[in-house]
Amino acid sequence: MIFSQLIVNSIIIGSIYALVASGFSLIYATNKYMHFAHGVAIALAAYIVYFLSLHISFPIACILTILLSGCFGVAMHRCIYLPLQKRGASTVILLIASIAMLIFFENLIQLIFGADVKTIRILEVTRGIDFFGAVVTPLQFIIVLVSLIIFAALFMFMKFTVLGRNMRAVADNKELASIVGINHARVADYSFFIGSCLAGVAGILIGMEQNLTPLMGTMLIIRGFTGAVVGAVEVVAGAIVGSYILGFAENFGVWYLPSGYKDAIAFILLFIFLLFKPHGIFGIEKGVKK
Amino acid sequence: MISPYLTNLAVLILIYIILSVSLNLALGYTGLLNLGHVAFFAIGAYTSALLTKAGYPFVFAFIASGIVASLFGFLLVLATRRLKGDYLALATLGFSYVCYAVLLNWSSLTRGPLGIAGIIKPNIFGWQIHSTGEYAMYALIVCIISIMIMMWIVRSPFGRLMQALRDDELGLRVLGKNTYRIKLKVMGISAFFAGIAGSLFAHYLTYIDPSSFILSEIILMITIVIAGGLASIRGSIVATGIILLIPELLRFIQLPSSVLGPLRQMLYASILIIILMFRPRGIFGRVDLE
Repeated sequence: MIFSQLIVNSIIIGSIYALVASGFSLIYATNKYMHFAHGVAIALAAYIVYFLSLHISFPIACILTILLSGCFGVAMHRCIYLPLQKRGASTVILLIASIAMLIFFENLIQLIFGADVKTIRILEVTRGIDFFGAVVTPLQFIIVLVSLIIFAALFMFMKFTVLGRNMRAVADNKELASIVGINHARVADYSFFIGSCLAGVAGILIGMEQNLTPLMGTMLIIRGFTGAVVGAVEVVAGAIVGSYILGFAENFGVWYLPSGYKDAIAFILLFIFLLFKPHGIFGIEKGVKK
Repeated sequence: MISPYLTNLAVLILIYIILSVSLNLALGYTGLLNLGHVAFFAIGAYTSALLTKAGYPFVFAFIASGIVASLFGFLLVLATRRLKGDYLALATLGFSYVCYAVLLNWSSLTRGPLGIAGIIKPNIFGWQIHSTGEYAMYALIVCIISIMIMMWIVRSPFGRLMQALRDDELGLRVLGKNTYRIKLKVMGISAFFAGIAGSLFAHYLTYIDPSSFILSEIILMITIVIAGGLASIRGSIVATGIILLIPELLRFIQLPSSVLGPLRQMLYASILIIILMFRPRGIFGRVDLE
């Protein structure tokens, strides 16, 4: 009973983390720096959908939110990262800048919406369905389903479209990709747009499942990043699998540890992987240790 | 008599001077990208508070706070010795996060989110400190001694080794220097002074809780160090004054505290981004962040 509930919970939370990680690792793969402000893009999306759904119908609010997050990502890339890169900033500086943006927008959210917890009330609260001895709400079903559809779509996109192929080419070797005529600046733009759209989807689903707090972005990007490192930062599929592993580790970890340590489990897992397997389970050994 | 407001500000600035100069030792002089400095600060504060609570003399607790923090510094270098660049940055960030989670959850030792109240005012070999003015004197003495020691370290042959490590680690190894041992020593020294700053902080406020040691504190420290300039002690001192005083201007506009807090964080984050974009060497900096 409790065991099957733990497994189901792990899958649900793993899907949420995987949504975070997939966007993050898509951006990392083509740009090769850590876009930590991805977390705040998710938080912002959750707040935007909360705000819009009060005024317009929910499906339109969702579409608008996803597009807005995509534009937000591109704006961050164009206004902050690109000028910094032009100055010859190293990836470490970009990381510090992205953490600064994370803090900036988190506090902006707090300033605009206040520090109190918000909830999106679209689906009425219903009794969960019994599923192999575990209780699952319809919303949680939707989350798992939507994330699986998105992962499948992402996989197809990366595998079969020209843009997806170009992205993989840039991810593999930027110089070589430029030589064969791929415009890597445009690919970077697209990767930010698509990655941040994923952040928008994640923000909507997470906003409905959990409560909205201004600090949710930090919590989520830490999980997403850990999932990505466990799998492999530059391989999107790896990042997704890694996130599910993190979901299981967290849920089964609190079986033994006090529940307050749930946040620390991600970092313990991150530490173990950074120390012993910094390229992740599916990673290629290059560039990590330089 | 100087107003209590100014004395209060002076004590905080003195504490942050020790913190930022010691961070500059690791970040600027040695090129160790340490985002875990706030954890050493926290460890020092808690060590000093808990030891004096347990009845140990103040001077003993004060020195112990530095030593315990530097032990954790050794531990951090030991754990992350194979990492570089952004991976090192994230591992150290993880360290400060785990430290925060432990402080929050190890209730039997740290009283968790309730914090430790009623920390005694210092008594240094019979000199009992009562007023804030006296405390400012005490903080000034500690600060001057710390700065002098750190300046002496930087100018010593070991200081040159530190800077050589930053500029060319491989070259230093070719010359037969044990770079790992240099890193251990630098991190130990840096953490020692952060721990001492923690002790100053704890006995000044007489109350500490984990929320004083959150992620955004590290952004403040990094902002100060980068604004002042890497590898410049003078720069860190000047920048601490400037950056801590800027938000005080906000006080003159009558703003509610719920606005003031986020606004201050946003200010720090935007200062950091602006400096990174337009003047990455800071005020007195001589080297670029790698």
